[in-house]
Amino acid sequence: MNKYIVLIFLPAFALMMSPAMAQNLNWAGLKENEKHLFHVHAGMEYGAEYGLGYSYRIKNKFFPLVAGIEYSAPAGNRVLDDFKSKAGGQIRWLAWRDVQFSTRIQGVFRRHENDFVRLLNFGSDMAGVLGYYRPQWFLAAEAGFDKAIVTHFKHAAAYREIYARVVDGWYEPASGGNFYYGVQAGFSYKRQDIGLKAGKILSQDFTTKPYLPFYVQLSYTVKF
Amino acid sequence: MMALLALTFFSCTKERFLDEPGNLVPKTVDQDPGLPSIRVNGALLHAEAFGPADSTMVVFVHGGPGRDYRYLLNGVDLANYGYRVVFYDQRGSGLSQRFPGKFYTNLGLGALDVLYQDLSAVIAHYRTSPNQKVILMGHSWGGMLATGYAGKNPQAIQGLIVGEPGGLKWKDISEYMKASRSYEILEELLNDATYLDQFITGKEDQHEILDYKMAMMASNNSITGEDNTRPGSFWRSGAVIMGALQEIGKEHQPDFSAGISSFQTPVLFFYSGKNAAYPDAWAQKISAAYPMVNLIKVNGVGHPGIVHDRNAWTTITLPAILQYLQSL
Repeated sequence: MNKYIVLIFLPAFALMMSPAMAQNLNWAGLKENEKHLFHVHAGMEYGAEYGLGYSYRIKNKFFPLVAGIEYSAPAGNRVLDDFKSKAGGQIRWLAWRDVQFSTRIQGVFRRHENDFVRLLNFGSDMAGVLGYYRPQWFLAAEAGFDKAIVTHFKHAAAYREIYARVVDGWYEPASGGNFYYGVQAGFSYKRQDIGLKAGKILSQDFTTKPYLPFYVQLSYTVKF
Repeated sequence: MMALLALTFFSCTKERFLDEPGNLVPKTVDQDPGLPSIRVNGALLHAEAFGPADSTMVVFVHGGPGRDYRYLLNGVDLANYGYRVVFYDQRGSGLSQRFPGKFYTNLGLGALDVLYQDLSAVIAHYRTSPNQKVILMGHSWGGMLATGYAGKNPQAIQGLIVGEPGGLKWKDISEYMKASRSYEILEELLNDATYLDQFITGKEDQHEILDYKMAMMASNNSITGEDNTRPGSFWRSGAVIMGALQEIGKEHQPDFSAGISSFQTPVLFFYSGKNAAYPDAWAQKISAAYPMVNLIKVNGVGHPGIVHDRNAWTTITLPAILQYLQSL
């Protein structure tokens, strides 16, 4: 029963408490009166995917931070069988002239279903971003770790025919994790940003690679 | 924060590990003594035999690399016609014992010799007399392996049946692999395979996890006409040997047709009508390596259906095999 409670409340907790967000963010391009950021993106990350998100800039005396949520799904003819939602944000820790360093932390809830199994996963995505930020453009490097912390397996009848004694349920400790590193760049014009990021993905043991060992994402953001 | 909460809640529950034998994939013969097995050439192999022990022996060699013989079990019918039928899962595949990836890659092309030695040892295990005829029936990768074996040991077997080997020379194998997996970028099938990588990652030689992932990725293939959700499709994939043999293939470019010109017995060659990567021209090209060959197209089925599809087996494949066996 606890698990169902967690399933319901965990995303809500994350929305309320996470300090920060996910898309390519030009810290230098954010104007004082711009609080809301809405973005759409498309690209390749564990498959061809598309998504959208919303972020809110939280003003404070110490460190600029942006909190937000986003949703993405891979392409395919079955809608909603696979998706990923993230809640979290981004906080800028250091700014020296035009060089800035920020970190991003997000809680992740994702779902995947194929002919044999349905997977539900709670995880985390943490990254550091170091870059050169100007009001009209930025260029940054990022490195992060995407961890699948706990995963629920529910197998379909087709797989039970293959292996009748397969064990359904929550699997822990962590069922997976991938490091990623790459570059991100963006151009800002009035209340709009266009961002591009690309990089490589490595499994957590640094020796094996995922089926698609890279990511690339094009994003468009409107600020108001 | 979400991650911390998740950790807090779930740390109170009983741990369940992906790599615990028997959780996600069946145990192998070294983990489950109740499974039928033979110990040959330093490996414990999942194996079974049917039919009279001393009659002509038909040894089924499964595809992959890394599949198992479950989808070939229609072949048991041959026992009803008086033949000795032998099935085995190759080492590192199906329910047979697993070995580290380096075991294969350190051997280079020698890894193929180990698989040929395993086949020799399986034959020797079940053979009751030197005069007992032995016929190999290899499907897909098994057809390549059986052809390589016949080329190296032309006197050791008295007949060869192959089912849609992708290619025999590395260039052809590579071309076939590309053609049979050229999914559309926006296709559900491709994204089902790639999306899983963020949920489950397996380290090198974590066989339970890697085998499970391989099974999840291989539910069907619209190009080759495979549908592994059909009952009896497989037991367990062998991801490590598949990866290792692909690595060896890319590096050493093996030629499974080497020596086959000295195998002067007619070869029975099946290919399927629904494998878009295996048109008539490809079947003719690949089968041209055999000195004497009889091609049979099994219409209405895809790659594994040549043997796995009950209707195709009873109406086309089995009668052709029986006729072939009687002709030897």
